[in-house]
Amino acid sequence: MKLLTKTTLYFLIAMIPLLAVTGFYLFKQFSKEINYRSDKELISEEIGWVRYLQSEVDNGIIFVLKSPEVSVYPTDASAAQAPTLANIYGYTAEGDSKIPYRQLSQVVSINGNSYQIIIRQSQEQKDALVTSITRLMLFVFAGLFAATLVFNWAISKRLWKPFRRSLGKIRSAELQKMEAIHFENTNIEEFNELNTSLNYMAGKMHKDYVNMKEFTENAAHEMQTPVAIVQSKLELLLQDDNLKDDQVQSILESATALNRLSKLNEGLLLLAKIENNQYETKEEINLAELSEKYLHLFDEFIKEKQLNIKTNFQGSFIINVHPVLAGSLISNLLGNAIKYNYNGGTIEIIISQNDYHISNTSMENPIASEKLFTRLRVSREGQEPSNGLGLSLVKKIVDVNNLLITYHAQNGIHSFDIMRNIPA
Amino acid sequence: MKILIIEDERALQESIMKYLQHQGFICEAVSDFLTGKEKVTRFVYDCIVIDIGLPYGSGLDIVKELQYMESKAGIVIISAKNTLEDKLKGLDLGADDYLAKPFYLSELTSRINAIIRRRNFGGNNVITFNEINLEAEAQRVTVDGKAVVLTDKEYQLLEYFIANRRRLLTKAAIAEHIWGDEYQQVSNFDFIYTHIKNLRKKLMDAGSGDYIKTIYRAGYRFTD
Repeated sequence: MKLLTKTTLYFLIAMIPLLAVTGFYLFKQFSKEINYRSDKELISEEIGWVRYLQSEVDNGIIFVLKSPEVSVYPTDASAAQAPTLANIYGYTAEGDSKIPYRQLSQVVSINGNSYQIIIRQSQEQKDALVTSITRLMLFVFAGLFAATLVFNWAISKRLWKPFRRSLGKIRSAELQKMEAIHFENTNIEEFNELNTSLNYMAGKMHKDYVNMKEFTENAAHEMQTPVAIVQSKLELLLQDDNLKDDQVQSILESATALNRLSKLNEGLLLLAKIENNQYETKEEINLAELSEKYLHLFDEFIKEKQLNIKTNFQGSFIINVHPVLAGSLISNLLGNAIKYNYNGGTIEIIISQNDYHISNTSMENPIASEKLFTRLRVSREGQEPSNGLGLSLVKKIVDVNNLLITYHAQNGIHSFDIMRNIPA
Repeated sequence: MKILIIEDERALQESIMKYLQHQGFICEAVSDFLTGKEKVTRFVYDCIVIDIGLPYGSGLDIVKELQYMESKAGIVIISAKNTLEDKLKGLDLGADDYLAKPFYLSELTSRINAIIRRRNFGGNNVITFNEINLEAEAQRVTVDGKAVVLTDKEYQLLEYFIANRRRLLTKAAIAEHIWGDEYQQVSNFDFIYTHIKNLRKKLMDAGSGDYIKTIYRAGYRFTD
């Protein structure tokens, strides 16, 4: 529900008791007015009756009148100074329904004789008054309702414009371009407050982003430097001619492990940098050409393992991606296809305009799909050491470049397909 | 050949110095920006190895200074930053080469050799090891004046071996030098053996000594 709709609703609900009170007040006022008029008439009528009674009593007649409208009869009660005026309900002349009456009653003393005078006047119009006031209030309510609807529409179009503008900016905001975002001042205090906070937040995010970037780079620096020291020391140690064979082996194994550590660090950094969107500059990369390049680069290995390479480039799969990431993508996939292949095995690369397919023969078991792209998933079965980052890098690169990757393994053939991610 | 090493990590600085001295270079080393800058303005070196992150300043500013002085010294940047942008920036400022840490000392030596040759002798420089002569520009190899036809990879291997003569070179270091970083993808280095076997045979067929020694399970050593 829109904020404005909700406030309007609350407003209208609040209007109901207000209108009811107003209606009641109006009824009271009108009713008082009607009573006042009735009273005046009743009193002047009473005066008429008193005058009439006086002339009748002077003539020595005991007067008795009983009708629904007027009752005059002698009574024992003592006379009252002023008439009593009251609202009562009574039967109509026809006697079939009760209606409101204004009634005047007074005991008057006429030449020493007490007379009770009761005069009533119908106030049937009071019932009608309730109906018309209710109708009026309903009409006002409906008018208010319609007016607020129209106002809402107009207000939400105009008044909320700066809000929508800010919202649009937030939606299109990109982490690495936070610096460029500015939320302007408006003439509405709340929006100004919001925009000030947003400006503050954008600034802080930009600062954090820069810090994060620096941190990743510093982390690389801090980790690679000690590795460089150890590696150089090991290399120097190896030059000692007096080393025993097993000592040389120990140094070499340390060097290999160190190399793995360094590569692992590089891989994690690459992942972090991709996650920090530090590979945003994109170029059009032809995956067919890139695959040719890497096939050439890995030529020695392919020959060594006597692999049979089948390529079928039916079209050129061109994607927009940072060249470093494109290289990492293909070298990881092709590197794996070589690494996990057996001697005399086959690698097949089929490229069409919207699909990059690479498959290889392998002795390895199919990779469980839930572990496929998990970081640091190291296969303990294969004899080839791996840092377990290759496929998660592939996955990350595919994800950030709006591509999809699928994996199949059947009859000892493992295959990956990269496709464009076209939103359904 | 005089080399200046500007590197703030003492341990690394010492390693580099020791290895280069073994290979016949005269080395000096400093550990911060200010002394580094003072050294390059006051003395002449054949090659300067500069780390980017230094106390009191950036190694890149020393590169700029050298460029401004129109120095003839070769410049190798060594940095822990391994991004394309940093690499291009360093080279744009006038460095001859950029090595990301960690690197092999043998790789650094080979690069320094190549830079000094390019800077000092222009096109026609000759690398000599006993009866073996390498004409770097033409990639021509002769043994006692007799031409030996080598493949690209074999030539690179030989050049690398001579630059690091008498040093034990691991298979990993050799692979990285000839085939580059990407080859780490596929981790075993047995394929090197074929190339070395061929190189050795070609040299010996041409009448050279048997200089390439196999160190069991470790690597190779080029030595007389």
